[in-house]
Amino acid sequence: MFRFQSLDEDCTLEKEEGLVEEEDEIDQFNDDTFGDGAIDDDWQEEHKRLAELEERKNEGLGGLGLGGLGMGGMGGGDASTVQLPPPASRVPHPSSLPPPHHSLSSMPPPGLEDRGGGDLAESLAMLILGADPAIASVGGPTGPGDRSTGLPPPPSMPQQHQLPPHQQLTPSGLPPGPLHPSLLSYQQHQHLLRRGGPPMQQMNSHNIWENNMGFGPVSVTPGLVTQMEDSPLMSIIKEVGLPNRPPPVMSEDGRDLSERAPPPRSSSPVIGSPPVRAVPIGTPPKQPMSHAMNHHQQNSPLCRPPFPAGVGPVLSQIQRAQMLNSQVAGFPRGCQGPPLLPGGGGFRPFFGQPPPHRMGPHHNHVPCPIIRHNTTHLHPQHRRMLTQRMQSRGGERGGRVGDWRSRDPYSNLMTQREKEWVAKIQMMQLQSTDPYLDDYYYQNYFEKMEKRQERDRDGVRKEHTTKLITPQVAKLEHTYRPVQFAGSLGKLTVSSVNNPRKMIDTVVTSRTDDEEKREKQVWNKRRQILYTVEKMYSLLLEVQDFEKRFMQTPEEQREALLEQHKTHTLQLYASLREKEWDDRVSDEQCLLIMSVRKGKRLISRLIPFLPPLQAAAVVMGIARNLPALAKKDKQDQALCWLVEPVAVVISSLSSAALTDLLQELQGSEGQLSKVLQNKFGVTLLYLILSEGERMQSSDLNCQLMDDNRWTELVFSVTRELLNVPPSSLSPPLFTPPNLLSLFSRYVDRQRLELLQEKLQISSLSR
Amino acid sequence: MNYMPGTASLIDDIDKKHLVLLRDGRTLIGFLRSIDQFANLVFHQTVERIHVGKKFGDIPRGIFIVRGENVVLLGEIDIDKLCDHILQQVSIEEILEEQRLQQQAKQKTEKAKVTALKDRGLSIPKADNLDEY
Repeated sequence: MFRFQSLDEDCTLEKEEGLVEEEDEIDQFNDDTFGDGAIDDDWQEEHKRLAELEERKNEGLGGLGLGGLGMGGMGGGDASTVQLPPPASRVPHPSSLPPPHHSLSSMPPPGLEDRGGGDLAESLAMLILGADPAIASVGGPTGPGDRSTGLPPPPSMPQQHQLPPHQQLTPSGLPPGPLHPSLLSYQQHQHLLRRGGPPMQQMNSHNIWENNMGFGPVSVTPGLVTQMEDSPLMSIIKEVGLPNRPPPVMSEDGRDLSERAPPPRSSSPVIGSPPVRAVPIGTPPKQPMSHAMNHHQQNSPLCRPPFPAGVGPVLSQIQRAQMLNSQVAGFPRGCQGPPLLPGGGGFRPFFGQPPPHRMGPHHNHVPCPIIRHNTTHLHPQHRRMLTQRMQSRGGERGGRVGDWRSRDPYSNLMTQREKEWVAKIQMMQLQSTDPYLDDYYYQNYFEKMEKRQERDRDGVRKEHTTKLITPQVAKLEHTYRPVQFAGSLGKLTVSSVNNPRKMIDTVVTSRTDDEEKREKQVWNKRRQILYTVEKMYSLLLEVQDFEKRFMQTPEEQREALLEQHKTHTLQLYASLREKEWDDRVSDEQCLLIMSVRKGKRLISRLIPFLPPLQAAAVVMGIARNLPALAKKDKQDQALCWLVEPVAVVISSLSSAALTDLLQELQGSEGQLSKVLQNKFGVTLLYLILSEGERMQSSDLNCQLMDDNRWTELVFSVTRELLNVPPSSLSPPLFTPPNLLSLFSRYVDRQRLELLQEKLQISSLSR
Repeated sequence: MNYMPGTASLIDDIDKKHLVLLRDGRTLIGFLRSIDQFANLVFHQTVERIHVGKKFGDIPRGIFIVRGENVVLLGEIDIDKLCDHILQQVSIEEILEEQRLQQQAKQKTEKAKVTALKDRGLSIPKADNLDEY
């Protein structure tokens, strides 16, 4: 690529093709740069940009450094692209590269143009020495430390502790030995590397992607670098870079896979939601970190119980693991192989706590149960009993089980921490604010158990059975208060799992107790009235249907039916009448019933069926209470239904009764005026008067005039009629014609005319 | 260490040999290596045991991970107590063959039943095992 550094003009396709023919090392991948993929601007800038991107990407890959990084030429040889981990990528790339026939790489390494100076060779050396774990381990922890550029220790540094044996197998093929980089000059080093080239090639092919250890690729080995100019494959790799390897399945540094927490979820906002966790709740506990791991690794083989040789399947991966663990040669029992591990490269079992086999012999030594704070939810008796049980069981089996467990190489895959974690989760599920509600049977069971035990050991041992108050989780109310900005309309609602979006802003209006009571009373009363009305209606309907039925029933049963009918009617009336007086309708009851529209209808239908005396009483009652009824009727306007039946009744009234009726109608002071204001009232009045008139005119022996009551009443009516303003006089349903003649008897002409007017006005105008 | 005394916890069953019956009718025997809060189980050196009549056969399966909801029952096996004398272990091929024959016989009887019912005008709808609701 540096070949074309001088080119400032845009490259055309032809040129590129020509180049391709000229040189074998330029390959098709360069289309991106010079071919179709090229953008028509300054390619240097473009590359710089892309290179920076790549660098960032590579850093993200965690040091895998397999982007299309190209490294400038190696000293003396072809410029080769070395796949570098990010630290190496920061190695200054001298611009003053000798232009060897390095192959075109897609982009210069990052920082190529950034750092103008710097020796390429030096940087390369540092790269090689620093990046490759093998060399680094050989050289010591601060291999490239003495180099000028502050090359940060490569990420694989920690591995070096673990890998002293590894050097023998590294693909780099470096001869083991004191290859301290600082001792070598760059050229010497290069020479060494070159020498170490050929035998390495075979290993390279299978080790390109990973080291023996199964670690992810850390770097392309230096040997690979030296081969660059040799094979076309290498040249391609130089130019393009190794393709991105899949993220290593096997964990780096033997870390537990559980450390690889899934990418953080888009968590609901903190308000009202569970705390944001970097590691989601479901992940098991992590294994200790790498530095701790080393200790573990060294300790645990010692801790590990001995096992007979040949136990367990031996896989090739296991063999590799064995090689790695050969450091644990200091095995006390000196048995054949190191602990065999299931799965390739997994170090997990090593990091367990002391294995459970120790439980066996220890069991008997533990007299009292280990009280775990999270088991306090269980009844203390329960816990005690069960630990006893455990101990007794453990004691007899301890020896045997311990032995067997100690021989099982796969035991303790689940670490103590993990067991505790599961237990903790299960305990959390037992927390309850109301144990009697949540676990009734358990509580009862234990109460019984306790009682039984007390009974049994009564007197023998006064063991204190204090009731432990199990810790109860307080019911925490998390009320979400929406964030409000002053002066803004509405509230900002951030919804999460725990507080879903509030759709409707409801306002609760709570009524006071008094109000509620009153309302209730009113409703209750009304309900009662309606109920009474309904019952009466059913009776009424039966009465009404009587005739039909009467016709249908045969002779014998007719009497019975008649009886029934009579009782019904009596019942009907009974519900209306006063308690003691038979001929007076209870005002209260009447009012109540009439206050309901249906009640009015009921009465109107009822009256025809009542015997005359009772009917008269009903009408009396109506008349008496007319003002009140009128007031209640304002909404319904249903009183007029009563006109017809009442008229019928009136027509059958005796004179005395009529007089009484009129009197009732007039009632107390001021009642008449109210009556006049009501349509029904007026109608009723007129009816009465007309009836009276009829009586008078028809029957000469009418007793109407015998006492003065009638006359007086008529007079008062007349007076009232005259006084009442026409506006307040309500128009009657109809005006009986003979009223005038009635009035003519009592009043003089003038007044008569006035009355006439009144009568006429009322009926005509409305 | 006492894990959840008095409760049914699988923690104490770890590293012991267990027999588990799954919802699909399989019987697995293996060492219980790991559990979690859903009773998902990790079995090691698992063997699927097929029973036909008095014979049984073991098919080694390696490592099994069973999702908790599929477990019907799980029980510890006493290692010291060997297999019953009643049951006779046979080779895998034989047991599979036996199983196949058993399935065939079953299907035949089922079919006969269905045709018999059909002749009488009755039909019992086939219960879909997957549909539990």
